[in-house]
Amino acid sequence: MNNGCICCTVRGDLIRILGGLMKRADQLDAIIVETTGLADPAPVAQTFFVDQDVADRTKLDAIVTVADAVHLSSQLGEHHEAEEQIAFADVVLLNKIDLVDQSQITGVKDRIRKINPYTKIIETNRCAAPLDEVLGLNAFSLDRVLEVEPDFLDSDHDHEHDDDVTSVSFVSDTPLDLEKFEKWFGNLLQTHGQNILRSKGILDFKNEKDRYVFQGVHMLMDASPMGPWPEKSIRNSRVVFIGRKLETMNLKEGFESCKSD
Amino acid sequence: MNNESVIKSRFEENGKVFETGAPVTGAVSIENAVAVGFGDGSIRFFWPDHDPLEVQAHSGAILSIASSNDGVITGGQDGRFLKISTNAEVEEIYNFGTRWVDNVAAYESMVLCSSGKNVYIWSDENDKPKILEHQSTIGGIAIDQNGRRIAVSCYGGVTLWRLEKNKWKSSKFAWKGSHGKVGFSPDGKYLVTTMQENELHAWRIRDKASFAMSGYPSKVKSFTWAGDNPYLVTAGAKEAICWPFDGKEGPKGRKPLCIASGGQQNATFVESLPGEKAVFAGFRNGMVLLSELSEHPNDVLIQNPTGSEVSNISISPDRSHILVGDSKGQILWSPLWEQ
Repeated sequence: MNNGCICCTVRGDLIRILGGLMKRADQLDAIIVETTGLADPAPVAQTFFVDQDVADRTKLDAIVTVADAVHLSSQLGEHHEAEEQIAFADVVLLNKIDLVDQSQITGVKDRIRKINPYTKIIETNRCAAPLDEVLGLNAFSLDRVLEVEPDFLDSDHDHEHDDDVTSVSFVSDTPLDLEKFEKWFGNLLQTHGQNILRSKGILDFKNEKDRYVFQGVHMLMDASPMGPWPEKSIRNSRVVFIGRKLETMNLKEGFESCKSD
Repeated sequence: MNNESVIKSRFEENGKVFETGAPVTGAVSIENAVAVGFGDGSIRFFWPDHDPLEVQAHSGAILSIASSNDGVITGGQDGRFLKISTNAEVEEIYNFGTRWVDNVAAYESMVLCSSGKNVYIWSDENDKPKILEHQSTIGGIAIDQNGRRIAVSCYGGVTLWRLEKNKWKSSKFAWKGSHGKVGFSPDGKYLVTTMQENELHAWRIRDKASFAMSGYPSKVKSFTWAGDNPYLVTAGAKEAICWPFDGKEGPKGRKPLCIASGGQQNATFVESLPGEKAVFAGFRNGMVLLSELSEHPNDVLIQNPTGSEVSNISISPDRSHILVGDSKGQILWSPLWEQ
C-alpha cells in the first residue's frame, strides 16, 4: 500500500492510469508499461496483485528487460536498479550484440544467469525480437512455473557471488511436511521479504497427491495446488530464490528442515 | 443475464433498457436531461419525454463530466476539454494534445479542468486560463457551493484554493497516500476524499482536524450526501455506509448507519434521492437498491443483478426518472414513480 509495508508498495499513478485505460478496455489488446532505466520493477509488478481493481481487470503478462550487451557489466556494478531489472525479468533482450564479440556475449550471459537463472535471454540488434517471444507469455501464471525448468532448478547453483543480487535453488527428493513448510516460508517472507525479489517453486508434500506451485514478488505470494503429479515425472520439491543477502537467511537449513520425518 | 426465474422490478418493467456497448464513465443532470459519458467517447442525453440523443464527442474514453451554464463539459483521453449543448453542438474549450483531461468542474460561468499536475480555470472575463500548479497528478477537483473555493486532491492530500481579491490563495490539507475523488460537505465545513486504500479521509476545514473513515472491504469509489444531518453516504462495502456529519465533531467516534443491506456484493456507486431521506446503492453485480436513511430501513429493488458493476446512478432534474449505467454499457432509464 502507498503508506504501508515498504516491500509491498504500489504505484498510485499507475493505478490511476490503468483505471483510465480500463474505461476503453474493449479497444485494447494489451497495455505495455515502459519504466525508466532506473525504476525498481517490484512496485510496478506488485500493483497488479495488490490493487484489487487492477487485479480484477488485468493480468501481468511478463517483465521484459532490455540489457545493453556493451554496458551491462559496468551498469550492474553501479546501479542496483540494473540488477533488479535483471532479477525480475522473465525475458532479457540482450541488445547491441553486433557491437561485442562472442566471448563478451558469453560473459554477459553468465552474469545475467548468475542473477537470474530462469530468465529467457534473447540476443538482439535494435531489440528486434519476435513479438510472440515478448508478448503473451503469461509468465506470472502458476502453470508457467511448471514449464520453466531448463536453467531453473537443475541443481544447487554454485557460483562465486560477487554480484549484489544472487539466486539459489534447492531440490529435495524427500517429500516435505506442509505444516513445517508453511511455518518456515511464512516466517521467511515476513522477516526477509524485502530482500527476496522473486521466488518460485514446485512442492511435493507428504500425503498430498497434488503438486503445489508458488511464485512470489517480495512478500506477495501466489500459491495453489496444480493437479496431480504426472505419472512418469519424478516427484520432488524444487525452489528458487532471487534476492539480496540470501546467504544470511539460512535458506538451505530452512528448506531442509521442512522435510517430512 | 435475465432468466425466467428472476422477477423484474417495477422499474425494469416500466423502464427502457439500452445496450450501448461502451462502459458508462459518468453522468450529470443538465436542463431537463441526464447526460451520460461513455468509454468510447460518446455522450448520450436522456429525456423523460423523448428519445435519447447520441453525440460522438471524444476519440478516447470520457474521463470526467460536469454540467455548466449552457451545456455539459467533458474531459477525455484524447486531450480535449469540450462543452456540449443539449442540441448536440460541440465546442472545444481547450486541447491538451496527448495529455488526458482527468477532471472537470463548473460553477455558473466558470469552468475548470485538470490535466496532469495543473488545474486550468476559465472565467468570463478572459480567454486565457488561470493555471493552478500542484506537486503530483491530480486525482479529483471540487468547487464549493458559492464558487469561492476549489478543492484539488493529489498524492499527499488536498490543496484548498480560495478566491481573495481576484487571486487564488492555497492552503494544504496533508495526509499521506494517494487521494482520488474530493468533495465539500453541503455546509462547506468539511473536505472528504476517497483513497487508494480501502478508506476515506476527511478534514474539518476550520482547524484542519482530520480523520479516516475505514473498515471497508474494498475501495470506496463513490460517495454522496443525503438527509438533513447530513450523512456522508459511501460505497465500498456490502451495505451503503452512512457517516453522520452533524454536531461539532462529525462522525468522529460515532457509528455509521448501514443501509441497503440486500446486496450480495460490495457497493460501487451511491446516489441520494433529492428531497427524500433515501439513498440508491448500486453493487458490483449490477444490482441496485433504494433504501431509507434510518436504523431499520426498507429496501426497494430497482434493478436485478446484470453481471456488470454499476458505474452510475442519476436522477433526472425533475425527479421523474432514474438512470442506472454499468461498466458494460447497459442503461436502465425508468420512471421513478407509479403512474
